[in-house]
Amino acid sequence: MSAAETDAPVLKGRGIPGWLPWFLKRLLSGLGAVLASSVIVFMATQALPSDPARVILGPEASEESIHLLQRQLGLDRPVAVQYADWLGRLLRGGLGHSLDSQVPVTDLISARFGNTLVLLGLVALFSIPLSLAIGVALALRRDSRLDRAAVTVLVLLKALPSFALAIGLISLLSTSVFSLLPAVSLLDPERSPLSQLQYLVLPTLTLVLSGLPYLTRLVRGSMIEALEAEYVTLARLRGVPERRVVWRHALPNALIPAIQGIALMLSVLFGGTLIVEVVFTYPGIGSTLNAAVQVRDLPVIQAVVLIVTAGVVAINLVADLLTVLLTPRLRTAGGVRLNVRRTRRVFRDAQNARLVKTHS
Amino acid sequence: MSTTDRSRREFLRAATAVGGGLILGGGLLGCGERDAAAGTATAAAKDPTPRHGGRLRFGIIDGDLSGNLDAHKPAGIGSTIRGFAIYSKLWEWSEEMTPRLALAEEAETNADATTWTIRLRKGLEFHNGKTITADDVIFSTLRLTDPELASPYRHLVSGIDRSRIEKLDERTVRINMKEGHGFLPLADAWVNFGGIVPPDYHPVINPVGAGPYRIKDFKPGQRALLTRFENYYKPSKPYTDELEIIEFKDQTSRYAALVGGQVDLVYGLAPEQTALFRNNPRASLQVSEAHRWQGFSLNLKKTPFDDVRVRQAFRLIADREELIRRVLNGQGRLANDLYSPRDPTFLATLPQRHQDLDRAKALLREAGHERLSLELVASAAGSAAAVAFAEQARRAGVELKIRQVDLATFNGPQMRDWQISTYEGMGESYLSTAARTDGPISASNRTNFSDERFDELFRTAVQRTDVQARVPLAHEMQQIQHERGGLLIWAYSNVLDGVSPRVGGISPEHSHFSTWRFENFWLRDAQPATTA
Repeated sequence: MSAAETDAPVLKGRGIPGWLPWFLKRLLSGLGAVLASSVIVFMATQALPSDPARVILGPEASEESIHLLQRQLGLDRPVAVQYADWLGRLLRGGLGHSLDSQVPVTDLISARFGNTLVLLGLVALFSIPLSLAIGVALALRRDSRLDRAAVTVLVLLKALPSFALAIGLISLLSTSVFSLLPAVSLLDPERSPLSQLQYLVLPTLTLVLSGLPYLTRLVRGSMIEALEAEYVTLARLRGVPERRVVWRHALPNALIPAIQGIALMLSVLFGGTLIVEVVFTYPGIGSTLNAAVQVRDLPVIQAVVLIVTAGVVAINLVADLLTVLLTPRLRTAGGVRLNVRRTRRVFRDAQNARLVKTHS
Repeated sequence: MSTTDRSRREFLRAATAVGGGLILGGGLLGCGERDAAAGTATAAAKDPTPRHGGRLRFGIIDGDLSGNLDAHKPAGIGSTIRGFAIYSKLWEWSEEMTPRLALAEEAETNADATTWTIRLRKGLEFHNGKTITADDVIFSTLRLTDPELASPYRHLVSGIDRSRIEKLDERTVRINMKEGHGFLPLADAWVNFGGIVPPDYHPVINPVGAGPYRIKDFKPGQRALLTRFENYYKPSKPYTDELEIIEFKDQTSRYAALVGGQVDLVYGLAPEQTALFRNNPRASLQVSEAHRWQGFSLNLKKTPFDDVRVRQAFRLIADREELIRRVLNGQGRLANDLYSPRDPTFLATLPQRHQDLDRAKALLREAGHERLSLELVASAAGSAAAVAFAEQARRAGVELKIRQVDLATFNGPQMRDWQISTYEGMGESYLSTAARTDGPISASNRTNFSDERFDELFRTAVQRTDVQARVPLAHEMQQIQHERGGLLIWAYSNVLDGVSPRVGGISPEHSHFSTWRFENFWLRDAQPATTA
């Protein structure tokens, strides 16, 4: 994942964008990360007390039954052999069967991932434009009464744990005050989640409200930073209209921390939102993974972790790519070190995002 | 540590009450449409005639297990509940929690319970239309007892001689017990996990049974959708066209679904939720005085519990009334370190143990354990009892450090190594409970209790079919358990269920299973099925 040196003139001669080799290297190292995490998770599950056979058979099973099931499930083999077996099956395209429910892992988790993706999509659909609009609006009205009030509300919202928010929303919209929405998201698995939007409103609202303060404050902070930058002052002095200064000069630079922030939020959501899934009984991937860990259902744990890791790597890769494309110095880098990791780390701290001076 | 635990627990309890109260508040203040629906249901409420049609939605909590559909190897309570819908057995539980004939029209045992002759009813059918015969009974018995299946319940019927199951005619089977050892509680042991299935049965690709509902769709960890079995052996039952068994991870969420009209019936409420049902028009609380026992296991193989005086002292430390009040929210009855209070052989004449800290301290002093510090291992279900008991123990100078473990660990290989752990069990007949708990054939004897005389009495008692002949044996066994056993049983708890006013055909029982009798339930607002 380290920085990649590019030889821009040669590449330019061939018509290949300067960032492409960097991207391919990142892609490869991302795959490496996925594989490494699967090894780590496999080892970690071995360290947990008890094993699937005991959990499945319950407290009343005899030792004889337990040993037999351990043998049938292949749990008596060395860890390395078990891992190799799993990897071999994966390469042939199989994820195995759940030790708990005995059904193919693919059947078990595909719908769950679908539900999580739908939720993630809806949250992104609302929280990204909202946070950008509110963040920019507040930055332009910096230190006004509205700005101060809004920041206070955002801080309060951020301080509220998401389960409390969820229960509050249930009381407000489902039970105590109004009765507009179902309290619990009992999705009919035979229909697409998108055709059952009434079940998606409360979980989406909870996640949007709990994610919005972070993103909005990130956008607001970096927008303020950008508006104070020298290039903005220069543009103003040159008589560029204020509207153009805000939208063409300041915003593209202010977007970079927001992209990293959005990537962070989406990565977290993709891994499942356990609390929201529990409060609303929403059939997402978070509760599936949690249950699989509790039950030591190895094939399910491995499959979920594999897909989640791959998803997180992909989300970060896209975010980094967008960062590169939005940063001219990095995009056109001829012999410039493409250290996105460092850039990202620095950007993430919105307070110190002073190096967004790459606009030339 | 336990003070923090206590305050946290009390906070959680208050929070549940407030959260539930908010949700209930909605129930009271609330909302036109659903109240109108509830009103319609109430109007029809007193009409006792069962109606056909509709979908009954049943909410369960099965911890983290997703479970399966296996008739003979159900994992967790969710699988067992689904099994009650899909499979019929030779016996079923009566309202008194004793086995009653179901698919069998006759089950006779000889005088020493060494052979069982079982005759099926006439004209029984599986979901796939196949007639149920003696061959299916033999297949099902062999499958349950097959070592290769590794069923956790196999040892409960391990007395069956697999090589001597005889087919007497198309409907009659004779089962012989191994080596002439009779086994009277066979029906008790068999009834939960003895689904009769055909030889082409497969738990994943062909889960065929003869229960009131057949499986249509199973999403592990989420829900099972079942449809009515038209040729169910009980005439005109079941009543609803569909049954949906929905899994929840959280009690508060499930309660919200019940009062919000998203489920009709929920099994096994938490004791602190009972208050939410007062004056609640959306759902009622059904209290079944079952005799699920609540207790602690004192491990006889570990110090200090290898000394009978310490076991006695711990039983005197327990303030049972307070435990019932605090842990069960009053939903339970006093127990005297014995299980199966409704069994005809129960020994009710022993003096009830009450808290006696002076005597307890004296016993500990005698045993040389004046200052004791132990680790009390608790399951999630037992954690409240552990906290309350630890406080009581402190008053006797005993420090109990609580370690709560997840289910996998609680049932893991260390379970027989802990000094003291929480323990609870189903309220069945005396011999059946002994077989599962601290009797000589138990596979999960956390107490490591093993007593020559007790074991001898057990082996004799399981061969006595006559109750009167069994009474003196069982009484002596209970005397031994009361005196030197490893169980501290402080209460028999109620089973608490939540029922929507839509549901008819349900009433409290002495069994655990009043909400599992799916064939009996009907919906008051059901429209007769329009499908052909």
